Amino acid sequence: MTVGPSSEVLTVSQFAAAIKQLVESTIRPLWLRGEVTGCKVWSSGHWYFTLRDAQAQLRCCMWRTHTERAGRPPADGTAVYALGRPTFYDGKGEFQFLVQRLLPTADIGGEQRRLDRVKAALAADGLFDVARKRRLPRCPGRVALVTSTDGAALRDIVTVTRKRWPLATLLVVDSRVQGGGAARELVAALNLVNRLDVELCIVGRGGGAQLDLAAFNDEAVCRALAAVRVPTISAVGHETDVSLSDLVADVRAATPSAAAELAFADVADVRRQLHQLGARLARSLGRRAEVLDERLARAGDRLEGAVEQRLSAVAHRADRLGAELDALSPLRVLQRGYAVALAASGRVLRRRADFPPGAEFRLRVTDGVVPARASEA
Amino acid sequence: MTQPPDQTDTGAASITDELDRLEQIVRALEADDLDLDAALRLFEEGVARLRSARERLATAQLRVRTVLEDADGTLHDTRRDD
Repeated sequence: MTVGPSSEVLTVSQFAAAIKQLVESTIRPLWLRGEVTGCKVWSSGHWYFTLRDAQAQLRCCMWRTHTERAGRPPADGTAVYALGRPTFYDGKGEFQFLVQRLLPTADIGGEQRRLDRVKAALAADGLFDVARKRRLPRCPGRVALVTSTDGAALRDIVTVTRKRWPLATLLVVDSRVQGGGAARELVAALNLVNRLDVELCIVGRGGGAQLDLAAFNDEAVCRALAAVRVPTISAVGHETDVSLSDLVADVRAATPSAAAELAFADVADVRRQLHQLGARLARSLGRRAEVLDERLARAGDRLEGAVEQRLSAVAHRADRLGAELDALSPLRVLQRGYAVALAASGRVLRRRADFPPGAEFRLRVTDGVVPARASEA
Repeated sequence: MTQPPDQTDTGAASITDELDRLEQIVRALEADDLDLDAALRLFEEGVARLRSARERLATAQLRVRTVLEDADGTLHDTRRDD
């Protein structure tokens, strides 16, 4: 008698799907270093190759969307860095590495040497000197923003600025920030900023792989940035990516959002400051009025006519201002002994004609309202 | 050729001027060595500046504009709806 399976049975498809799910969910995208062999270019534009070192090998697949950016297919034996994520191709029962970026290590070496050369040249010209760093304006009104109009950087900066400092005007100068032509466009955009009426310039983009920041390590871009007439903030990449433009700019921001936070004061702080100034202004008038009363008392006897007339003119003005000062605690003026006559509608009664005999009105005094009536006589 | 700032711009820079001037006014009034006429004039100015600054803050709306350069080198900016 044959013995059947004692526990749950999966189909091959179910098992393959489970493996695929396991592989894709537990291993995040990562860089591998190895040597390419047997690269086959399919008519669909996809590449298939093997990545290997002395002990191991992996089947790799690179979709057309990625191969288009990678240039020519690598020759056998090319040492590369490959960014990708693993998957399990159930149709073939094969473990695969899906490559998104492929960088010949020789290029990386060259790239690093070029970067060092540019850095040395810029340093020699003093472009990184702390002494040439300018202070950012406190509350800039018009700010140039050099970035891609399709990018996340623009969106982030607009969002933060709208919240922090809605009084600003952002002038967006569109420029590609990666890929071929980006450096040339950035130079043109930075030159254009010098023709704008702005107080600050932010240049930036969202984060990306090292090579995506190449335009911001470009010598011409760095020199154009240094030549911008107004203070500059460079916001390139994420916390960990530092570009040469970051070193040249007056201020480096870790992200575009951080750039907006550095650029703009918080409107809430300004409101608070205004509130405090208003309170001090109101107090200063109160103090003044006390001095005035004192002088009036002292001077009254000696210089009756002239002084009294002048002081009453002054007092009248103070009274008028006091009534205007709704936002600034008008009670302070009433505290000094003034009262405001109000109609039932709340209108201020100023003239004799406002008080026909018998008319009822209200007197607003320092601690409340007194009902009153114009005498009949 | 530089495009002149658009006319609707209330100029956020001037709010800092406004704050600086207000600070100056309050200090002068607190110092107590002004004659009364001057003090009241300053006070009046202070109230007006305070009011205009508050109004400006209350009505402010971020403007986002895209700058474009014509073939002949003229700069234009157009409103963006971000």
